[in-house]
Amino acid sequence: MKKFLLLVLVLATMLGTFAFANGSKDAASSADEGYTIATVVKIDGIAWFDRMRDGVKKFGEDTGNDVWLVGPAKADAAEQVGIIEDLIAQGVDAICVVPFDVEAVEPVLKKAMDAGIVVICHEASAIKNADYDIEAFDNVAYGAHLMDNLAAEMGGKGEYATFVGSLTSLSHNEWIDGGHAQQIAKYPDMVLVSEKNETYDDQNKAYEKMKEVMAAYPNLAGIQTCAMATSPGAGLAIQEAGLQDQINTVGTSLASVCEPYLRDGSLDMIGYWDPADAGYIMNQIAIEVLEGRKIADGADLGVKGYDSIIVSPDKPNLLYGAAWVDVTLDNIEANLF
Amino acid sequence: MKISASDNMLKRFRHEFIILAIIVALSIIIGSINSQFYSIGNIYSLLKSTVIMGLFALGSFLVLVSGDIDISFTAIGAFCMYVTSKLVLLIIPGAGIVVIMLVAGLIGILLGFINAVFISLLKMPGLIVTLGTGSMIRGFLLTFIGVRIINKLPDSMIAFSKITFLHKAQANGHIVGLSIGFVVFIAFAILIYLILKYTVTGRAVYALGGDRVATARVGFNITKVQFFIYGTVGFLSGLAGVTHSSFMRNGNPFDLVGTELSVIAAVVLGGTSITGGKGSVFGAVLGVFLLVLINNSLIMVGIPSYWQRAVVGIIILLSTGSVALQERRSQGV
Repeated sequence: MKKFLLLVLVLATMLGTFAFANGSKDAASSADEGYTIATVVKIDGIAWFDRMRDGVKKFGEDTGNDVWLVGPAKADAAEQVGIIEDLIAQGVDAICVVPFDVEAVEPVLKKAMDAGIVVICHEASAIKNADYDIEAFDNVAYGAHLMDNLAAEMGGKGEYATFVGSLTSLSHNEWIDGGHAQQIAKYPDMVLVSEKNETYDDQNKAYEKMKEVMAAYPNLAGIQTCAMATSPGAGLAIQEAGLQDQINTVGTSLASVCEPYLRDGSLDMIGYWDPADAGYIMNQIAIEVLEGRKIADGADLGVKGYDSIIVSPDKPNLLYGAAWVDVTLDNIEANLF
Repeated sequence: MKISASDNMLKRFRHEFIILAIIVALSIIIGSINSQFYSIGNIYSLLKSTVIMGLFALGSFLVLVSGDIDISFTAIGAFCMYVTSKLVLLIIPGAGIVVIMLVAGLIGILLGFINAVFISLLKMPGLIVTLGTGSMIRGFLLTFIGVRIINKLPDSMIAFSKITFLHKAQANGHIVGLSIGFVVFIAFAILIYLILKYTVTGRAVYALGGDRVATARVGFNITKVQFFIYGTVGFLSGLAGVTHSSFMRNGNPFDLVGTELSVIAAVVLGGTSITGGKGSVFGAVLGVFLLVLINNSLIMVGIPSYWQRAVVGIIILLSTGSVALQERRSQGV
């Protein structure tokens, strides 16, 4: 019996060794054929980044490179940094990052670049340690565009409030600042009463804060929101308070998440850029850099909205597309995913 | 020296009175800055906000009184909420809310018993056990059951979130009401109070927190008491989870986890001793009220977003500080 057990053990060990040998050989050969590129997002499992995963997957299928998407289970800067550390240790060729907190990832991205890994960011226009940062659009222009919509809904007058996912989320702040600047310049009869309430990308927080803002400012006529989970949270609060007609909304979210609230008028308009395209384009740019090409002004990256890239005049590693999409009740069907 | 009954009351509930005084003082300050604070809509909304934290806090209170700490209850809540929603949608989509809550509560009890096995039979510290089980339960949920947000919940769960009573018209003519969830919370608070005060098991929870060895010598069955405690925590967590997803009208498996320390803070704020043996349900409920009040009134006062977290910290420190100071003075140290 003992001998038999020993035999099994030896066999198992040998099999294991073979399996390992195979595994490492596979990894080596795939490195010859294509690149390994990881896309690290703010939080995994929400519709926005699920959609981005679709884009990353499609990129993998189109190009044959080894690409995948990961993210922390909750929106947490430290966990995201930990994931990037792991990827550096694994020795991937490129890392695409949608940072939760730009400041927090700078050191780890520097470490990645020092290790020869290509770094591409998204939603982080101020990032220093990246080969390129690709934005779906100029954030200030997008914020102003949302404000124009809000002003049209509000008739150019009344009190409004703004929400950000996190005060450290740069793009959110730029949308809101862009909107605010537009309001000051073009809509003097509108008043910002409650600025940049933080919702932590959490629907419950957004719901609670929206209820409080409505209670504090009974004449509130509009809101501009940022994080995906904020719109349904705020929409639920508006619906429960029966203020569909009084409060106008613009925000950045996904049609599928906001559908019930868009249908009953609790939410009026959402803007977004397709995260699938953003995921695809980040990987595309990573390949360009890996193959030693530079992205020039007016470059066509072959995806709609990213067919005439604008290079920021102040920051050569900052690229813009022109890929925003407006969704209202009229075109909701076409944008459900 | 003889102590009169009212003196005795004051002494026994000194802590609760201080918390109550802080709540009243804060309300007056907030209300004087923004009179909308007193609007019926806002008060109903604040009370509704206490429900989830409150249900969790009742369970957490039991564990703290028994001299241990449980940090797995939010993971249990998320697990029960998500699994129950999926099960019900799959098998009995027309199930009533009571059935759904019982199913969630039952799953919660089973998960609570896992904690009890380690803590009671293997005599391991609760903090370590629940650190493990909490992360295990969450990992199991996300890996094997799903990460997709359920956008279409069973109808009865949506309907539950819309049940309100004590209807009043607001200034804008819209009718608002108090959420049924608040009644559920208060009903369970009273139930826990009664169990702790009038049943042998309830008294044993306090005794266990006071002195474990003495409790065993007196003849209490500690294993049974601990299974009762962690089973109850699981049940309440399941209830809190279902109520949460009902309020949010979706089932998000990533929700709830991360709030456990706020819940424990609320219970400790309410005068429950972190080393066990001392505390009251009333105090725990007040602690929840205070924390919700602090967390949900800073916009009202007009404190800029950048400052809010700092202000929350300062108020918590001041509240616990004043309570600790009072306690020390009363002991004449």
